[in-house]
Amino acid sequence: MGANIYRNKKPALAFLLPAFLFMVVFLYYPFIKTILNSFMHLKQLGAAATEFNTPWYTNYEEMLHDPNVWTSVKNTIIMMAVTLVGQVGIAIVLALMVDNIGRGKQIFRTLFFFPIVISATALGLMFNLIFLYDKGMVNQLLEILGKQNLTDWKAEGIALFTMMAPVMWQYVGFYFVILVTGLNNISDELYEAARIDGATALQRVRYISVPLLHNVICTCSVLAVTGALKVFDLPWVMFPKGMPLKTTFLTGTYMYYHTMETKNVDYGAALAVLIVVLGVVLAKVVNAIFKEKEY
Amino acid sequence: MMKKRMMAAMLAGAMVLSMTACGNSGDTGSAAGTGGDTAADAPAADAGDAAEAPAAEGSVELVVTTTFAGEDSNAQNYKDAVKAWEAETGNTVVDTSATSDETFKTRVATDFETGSEPDVLFFFNGADSNSFIEAGKVVPIDEIRAEYPDYASNMNDDLITASLVDNKKYAVPANGYWEAMFVNTEILEAAGVAMPGADYTMDQFKADCEKIKAAGYSPIAAALGNIPHYWWEFAIFNNQSPATHLEIPENAGDENGQAWVQGMNDIKELYELGYFPENTLSATDDETFAMFTEGKAAFLIDGSWKVGGIVGACQSDPNDPATLDSAKLDKFDVTYVPGKGDRKASDLIGGLSSGYFITRKAWDDPAKRDAAVSFVEYLTSDEMVPKFAQHGASALKNAPEVDASEFNALQVKAMNMMAGTTSLTGAVQDLFAGDCRVSTFDGMPEIVTGRVAAEDAVAEGLDAYHNQ
Repeated sequence: MGANIYRNKKPALAFLLPAFLFMVVFLYYPFIKTILNSFMHLKQLGAAATEFNTPWYTNYEEMLHDPNVWTSVKNTIIMMAVTLVGQVGIAIVLALMVDNIGRGKQIFRTLFFFPIVISATALGLMFNLIFLYDKGMVNQLLEILGKQNLTDWKAEGIALFTMMAPVMWQYVGFYFVILVTGLNNISDELYEAARIDGATALQRVRYISVPLLHNVICTCSVLAVTGALKVFDLPWVMFPKGMPLKTTFLTGTYMYYHTMETKNVDYGAALAVLIVVLGVVLAKVVNAIFKEKEY
Repeated sequence: MMKKRMMAAMLAGAMVLSMTACGNSGDTGSAAGTGGDTAADAPAADAGDAAEAPAAEGSVELVVTTTFAGEDSNAQNYKDAVKAWEAETGNTVVDTSATSDETFKTRVATDFETGSEPDVLFFFNGADSNSFIEAGKVVPIDEIRAEYPDYASNMNDDLITASLVDNKKYAVPANGYWEAMFVNTEILEAAGVAMPGADYTMDQFKADCEKIKAAGYSPIAAALGNIPHYWWEFAIFNNQSPATHLEIPENAGDENGQAWVQGMNDIKELYELGYFPENTLSATDDETFAMFTEGKAAFLIDGSWKVGGIVGACQSDPNDPATLDSAKLDKFDVTYVPGKGDRKASDLIGGLSSGYFITRKAWDDPAKRDAAVSFVEYLTSDEMVPKFAQHGASALKNAPEVDASEFNALQVKAMNMMAGTTSLTGAVQDLFAGDCRVSTFDGMPEIVTGRVAAEDAVAEGLDAYHNQ
């Protein structure tokens, strides 16, 4: 009799229902509505769509010919590569180094994690000052080092670097903490045995730490790639409207630009659909590449 | 099993009761808070009466949105006026003001669409207000006057701008604006350039820019990739006349359309001559404004609201006028925008492009109607308008004599400049709002760098306008 309560699924369903309704109202309904809106004519944000575009796929056709769409997709893919190499890659190196020091691990954990707790908008404003053309911090340092002319860190050609460096910097600590936790789970006995067998520090990393961190690295990589699709606030604060010359748009910032700035809301909806499709496809690819191993 | 069920039922009952208690305690707290406020501001009212009387005087909360925020000259005046009105009436204002930009305009339009509009709105009376006027979400002045005959009676009705939608008047103006050219005279002296006057031409301007550039300064402070609005307006105006400026072309090929195209090409020419800052395509307006106030750029075309920004930049504490560095402020002047063709330099852009709207939502709410009318009347009274209008125009019937001794040096220069104005024309961009501006506003960097032909950009904008 007592075990029957675990077989009866109705109470569990009752508890799941509120969360499900919440998801329906705030995720699935808006998502389906966004898909519909992408085919319709919307006068402005919040306005009800009254008619279908002529032809109904106008926005998707326009997307194919819109060079800014391709710029934003290209930049987003670059951002993914940067997050993989710059965030997860650097985090692995830092985690391995910190794991090998005797004292002060906690201090490094706190220091590296700290940027995560600062709002991305505040960071964007701070990096605006750091990269300011007229005597920002970087240009002042270069001046001290003897550089004569000011560098426009937001100029075409260098703008992508200026945009991605702070994003990269902000999230290194996040992956660092996950990886350090993963390293802590590796038994000391393995390292001790390797040491007795004469393995060098590098060999211990190569043959023990990295293989046993594989699944953690996979998780971090999936998080980094999917996270790169959602990066918005810091790039928008530093490079509003894709400045300069619309070269710094990401898929998220380009969608926002059309929805909020140009009032082309239905085109913004179509871009939102593109972001979802891109996200699903890339998540599948990344999951296939970084498949976790069974030990 | 029965025991467990009983226990579960009791626990569930206790949970529900505790939640109800929480709800009650919240309500009680809220009521206590209201009571506390009431006690502080007005004689204590019976709690039961307060619950039944929706329009209890001195307890109305008005949601107000304005553009008096950020660097706007009147941001502090507005805060002071709201505080004074709250103290006088006992009502409260939930202020959702923000700096005016496209995002702000979208926010306002969306608030109207979703039914979360403010009670009172200080906003543009041109094409930007078309959507909520079409939807009947604001109240015409005449309708308000039917119940409040004195509403805006101190204003000259001829100067209140009518809506583009139905030619009715909705917005009570507080202060006018003008757009002109601010000058950093220190740079002019260093470059050996004379202060421009009312007969200043574009050719003279270009010659002066060349000298300023040769002296190592940036001639024009403007962020073409961020706020090209002022140059856009005057560049088009320079190829038209005050009589034709507000006519929107049918297409890029007609006479007016060609004037627009030529205007864009004029900006392109200045860009190619290197008269804008080196980072004009990647800088923000704040950055180029700082170049102007810090003595690195000579000319700045902007609006009357920028007087406050320049004065603020000359104060060690931007919020404390007592910290004004008068010697620094003396180095700034304001003059006419270089003219060309049928437009004289002294033909400026200006007018009364904004005003206070009362929304239908507030008007239909008996608890808020009085308060909304009272608020607008207070902010547009004979005493308050001159504070906001300062050195600019207003729509008051009996505008008081201006006491120049109350103004700082730049405000006095602005008044003198305005005294010599030959005409004041509205901004055509106020009629050309929304997505039709995108190809020439956001597209300005592409135009000046030659990636998009001016003719194509103008044609795209006009197509969007005529398809609206």
